[in-house]
This record gives sequence, C-alpha cells and structure tokens, in this order.
Amino acid sequence: MSWSRRLLAAHTALVYLFLWVPIAVLAVFSFNAGRQTAVWRGATLDWYRRLLANDALLASVRNSLAAAALTTVIATAIGTLAALALRRADVPGKGATLALLFLPMVIPEVVLGAALLTFFGAIGLRLSLVTVVIAHVVFSVSYVALVVRARLSGLDPALEEAARDLGAGPVETFRRVTLPLIFPGIAASALLVFTLSIDDYVVTSFVAGVGATTLPLHVYSMLRVGVTPEVNAVSTLLLAGTIGLIVAAQRLLRGSSSKGDRE
Amino acid sequence: MKPWVLMALLLGSLLVGGCGSPDAPKQRQLNVYIWTNYLPQDVVTDFEKRTGIDVRVDTYDSNETILAKLQSGVAEYDLVVPSDYMLKVMIPQKLLRELDRARLSDIANLDPRFLDQRFDPGNRHSIPYLWGTTGIGYDTTKVAAPIDSWEALFDPRHAGRILMLDDVREAFGAALKLMGRSINETDPAILRQAAEKLKQQKRLVRTYNSSDFANLLAAGDVDVAQGWNGELAEAVAASDGKLAYVVPKEGGTLWIDSLAVPASAKNVDAAYEFLQYVLEPEIAARIVNGVHYAGANKAALEKIEPAIRNNPAIYPPQEVLDRCEFIEDLGETTQLLDELWSEVKAN
Repeated sequence: MSWSRRLLAAHTALVYLFLWVPIAVLAVFSFNAGRQTAVWRGATLDWYRRLLANDALLASVRNSLAAAALTTVIATAIGTLAALALRRADVPGKGATLALLFLPMVIPEVVLGAALLTFFGAIGLRLSLVTVVIAHVVFSVSYVALVVRARLSGLDPALEEAARDLGAGPVETFRRVTLPLIFPGIAASALLVFTLSIDDYVVTSFVAGVGATTLPLHVYSMLRVGVTPEVNAVSTLLLAGTIGLIVAAQRLLRGSSSKGDRE
Repeated sequence: MKPWVLMALLLGSLLVGGCGSPDAPKQRQLNVYIWTNYLPQDVVTDFEKRTGIDVRVDTYDSNETILAKLQSGVAEYDLVVPSDYMLKVMIPQKLLRELDRARLSDIANLDPRFLDQRFDPGNRHSIPYLWGTTGIGYDTTKVAAPIDSWEALFDPRHAGRILMLDDVREAFGAALKLMGRSINETDPAILRQAAEKLKQQKRLVRTYNSSDFANLLAAGDVDVAQGWNGELAEAVAASDGKLAYVVPKEGGTLWIDSLAVPASAKNVDAAYEFLQYVLEPEIAARIVNGVHYAGANKAALEKIEPAIRNNPAIYPPQEVLDRCEFIEDLGETTQLLDELWSEVKAN
C-alpha cells in the first residue's frame, strides 16, 4: 500500500473516530453505576430499569416519536408534491415560489419559533402536539422539496416520454416510472425530516403545549438538576432502534430490488 | 415488497407506538408546567387517587420559556413555577391570577422568611415552593484548607482550576459580596470596581459554565466551582467525601421558585386543590425527600429525612442564610451590568 493510501486510511479512521467516539461514550455511560455523567463507577443496568419507571421521560419519547412520524408523512407528501409541481416550466411565479419555499431553511430557528407562537396566538389555536407537528412541517417541507427536486432534475425526461408513447396514462406513468425513479430521494428526505423533527429543540420550545413535552425539551429541562444517565439510556435505545430500522430497511430494499431484477 | 409499502409500514409502526392519549371524557384535569424533577411521581399519583383529577405534567428549562408561553395566550396551563425575578416580570403583565387566600388556609405552614418578598408583596400571586443557594463546590483533596469565602475563586493558588457560572448576576454577585456589598448594588462606581476584580480574576478561570459545572467538578476538570446547590449537592453526595459544598461566609445569592396560577388557567378549582395539597406538611416533606431541594414549608421540616434536613448544602446554617440575598431586578442598571460583563468576557 502506498503512503498516500495509508494516509487516506488513517484520515478516514480519524474521521470515523471523531464521529463515533462521543456516541460510544454516551452509550458506555448509560451503564455507569454513578449518577454523574463523567466519572465511571462500575457497570449497572439500573438506569435502564429507572428509565422504564420514569413516566415523564417515556411520555416525552412517545411525544417525540409521534410528532416525528406525523411530520415525516405530512412534510414528505407536501414537499414531494411541491417539487413535482415546480418541475413544470410553465408555473407562474416559479422563481418567487421557490424562494419562498426555501425561506424556512435560512430563517433562524428562534425567529421561526417566535413567529409561529405569535401566529398561533393570533388565530387562537391552543398549543398542543398538533402545533408542534405544524411547526415541524413548516421547516421540513423545504428540505423535502430540495432533495426531491435534485433527484427530479437528474431524471431523464425521455423515460417518461417513452412510457407515454407506449400508452401509459399520466397516473400510470407517475406510479410506474416517475415515482420509482425518485423514490430514493423521497426516502432520503423522509429520513432527514424524521431526524430534523425528533431532535428539534428551539422551535418546539416555543410551540409545545399541554401534554406535548418532547424528548429534547425534557432533556434540556433536566439541565437544572443535572442530566442523569437515564438520558444516556434512552438515547442508546433510540440509537439502537434507529440503526436497527435502517439496517432492516436496507435489507428489505435490497431484497425487493434484486427480486425485481430477476423478474 | 414495494419500497413505498415498506415506508408506510415503518411510519405506521411508529405512529401506533406514538399516539395513545386522547382526552378522557369529562374527567377533571390539571395541567402543571414545572421544572424537571421538581415534583415526585408518587406525589402526583396520590393526588390523582385522592381527588380523581387527571394531572398532566409538562417541563420547561427556563423562566423565559414560561413567559413566552403565557404571553401567547394559547397555552392552557393551570399551574406554573416561575423563579423570584420572573414573578416580578409576570405580575405587572397580568399573566398571573390573584390568589384567593381564603382557599389556601395552609399557607400558615410556610416559613415566613420566604413570604412577602419584594417580587410579590403579600404573596397575592404566588406561593413559595422550593429554594436554594449559590455557593462554591470544591475538591477537598486539591485545596490547602476548607473553603469558606468567595476569596477562593479569586485565589491565585487555584489558577487554572476555577469555574465561574456564566451568568452576569452570579459572577458580579461573588465579586460584590467579597467587597462587602449587596448583590443588588446599583452604584456605577462600585460596579466598575467589581468588573475590575472580575477582569483580574479572568486569567485564573478555567471556564465560565452554567450548565455542566457539577460534572466538570466531579470529573476533576476544575477543583473550585461556583454553582447552584442542587446539582452540586448531588455531586457531593456521590463523591464519598471527596467533594464539598459551601455557601461562603459573606453570603451568596438565594433563589426561590413559587407556585402560581396563570391568568389563562382553565381548571382553577383543581389548581387550588393542588396548592392546598402541596401545602400539607406531609406532602411538602415527601416532595423535599424526593427532589433534594429545600422546601419553603416550615411545618414539614420534622418530617424531612435528617440526611437532607441536616445537609448544609441543602439547608445552610441560619447565620449564613441571613447573609444571603435574592437577586432583584435592577431596572436601568441592568444595561450597565451587561456592558461591564461583556467587557469582562471579551477582555
């Protein structure tokens, strides 16, 4: 192996260490017998036991998962439709629409949060998990539209034209040609939205109402009395769950595509 | 399997796990908005059993969050727990409901020391709940002698091992107390002297930190740390005698969080029932035993575990407490203080 390859390998290893060591530390300390999150005092499963008995923390996890799942479905649908509509050349005011669509990405979160809170106050919508989902959809749609638009722009229009030539209607063309081709973009943006929603703190802190404390809100509010390793435990479980889902999804996708190849 | 079917299944499974709290029909409710670990679960459960009221507890991380929520007018909380200085902001804005003392007979159980403070004269809008102090946490194995003065944070022998709270009022509070002044000093000349002191101190300070101070002390990154007693008391308890907490002899800052009913509360009767409930000595003692913060209920003292009642980090001795002060809103002086603090930090 040449020295440049060695250097590349070392560099890669360092980057991965940089990315993963903090997460590994977090996971390791979820088994720490001490209450402090910085001093190792032997191994225990106590924090996992206490987590299962901590109704408030578990409720916040449920709230976060529910908000993230709903946001993902709604924002992915709206964002994808927006990207599809804006692909047409004859949309009036296309430039302005695009600019407005991507605005929530550049507005500072704290401004967006304050604006949404004022807005909900003005229309008299009481704060709840619903307002959290609405707020998350507001800032997520842009990301979906951006990702799906990128995928659409790489799409060969000849494929859709060929489908139409061969007698497929617009719906059938979309379902059997366009959608499968842009699906990786939709799936990627759905994952992105889920991540954005589940770890959002700033906007959520403004718009969460009764019964809508999410995991990030709960963890931040623990700072005052000290974050216990219960948070490490719940983070480790969420991480394991996420990795499990992604691995399962990849297996299934690979399975379905290889089966498709054989057909 | 089609990709979109897979996606739908993944999302569906998450939704099933996520949604499951539709409003119970006609059941009486109480929505409490409170700091985390401020209300033990069993205390809430017993209240629900006794009254049949369904209690929902949500948590926040700063006084400013409650303020923003109450100002919006669309947050339906029935009980909030703002700190002293925040009451002074909320009351003039009419965000809190005036309390009917006739319905709170057990208020006599509270320690008069915490009643009738300047942030809510006559306690017309709030009931003191939990309180604490700012002091110094330190590693007994790394300092020459037990610490008893703010001087320790300005001592060159501790150079590079000092942590200061990243908080303008607390930092100036330490300097002012050391100068024999009030933490609520408003004389610009005195404040400039305090800023000079903090500038000179800066080269000794390892870090300014308000969120993780107890962990940094426990991990040995710093040996002398200014901090709030709650987290430091936990670190001390877990350290097998290695760490200690002290409220300096000059006195420190005193903070108190009070229960209050927002003007927009929908379940006012339930809120009164809950207030009367936490005023009971038995319940107040269980809260202190559960959260390890000092409570304002005097009648509850004898029912509090001796390990907590006699812990000077939680209940400081009387003579120290007499020299502690509440942080008060300084009005126009706030701007000068902020400027001086920026100078210190940027220096």
